[in-house]
Amino acid sequence: MPPTARVLRDIKARHGVNANEILRRAYLYVARNQTLPAQVRFQAQLQLNTFGRYTRPTTVKNRCTESGRGRGVIGEFGLTRYQFRLKALANELPGVHKASW
Amino acid sequence: MAAVIPSRLAALNRLRCEIFQTSYNPTSVRTGAKYLRARLRGPSMVQYYPEELTVAKFNRMPGSFKIQDWAEYQRLADVEEKKRRGKGAPKKAKTQGPNFWPMMHIWRAIL
Repeated sequence: MPPTARVLRDIKARHGVNANEILRRAYLYVARNQTLPAQVRFQAQLQLNTFGRYTRPTTVKNRCTESGRGRGVIGEFGLTRYQFRLKALANELPGVHKASW
Repeated sequence: MAAVIPSRLAALNRLRCEIFQTSYNPTSVRTGAKYLRARLRGPSMVQYYPEELTVAKFNRMPGSFKIQDWAEYQRLADVEEKKRRGKGAPKKAKTQGPNFWPMMHIWRAIL
């Protein structure tokens, strides 16, 4: 299945975060450092605000790697609950099998 | 147990920081060190979705060996067929028509 627009957007955000992470961290360090003068910290905060939407780590969402769905994703497998069920029943997930007692 | 004088405790802390080479910060001022200390999350973020090799991606790779993309061929054929029957995509508007902003009268009423 080709990736949906939402998955493509998420991939874009992931690359943006990766590319800008070090610079953002440096500005964050200056802006949050209480030992520095207030004006310097404010300048750093203004610089932080100039970064685009897709450079913030909070924009990234772990979506289903199979279907692209954003809800009900089981983090350990990166799959939604339904895709997880399908794959587990097809024995494609090592160590996962249906409970029965 | 006898109470310890606060100044003695502070001196102990300072000495401890000196020995273990940690920064002495008795007033807990925020130094922003946690932003430098935290690991970078970008490299692992990029690897979340597994890389998928499609026919189009393969054809864009360097080299002379190409594969026929049948899905794309079928799509283009379908588009041509739709155009032939007059069901193609409409032309882009060159000028703003009367329906350019359909909700205009509603906005006028509100403002």
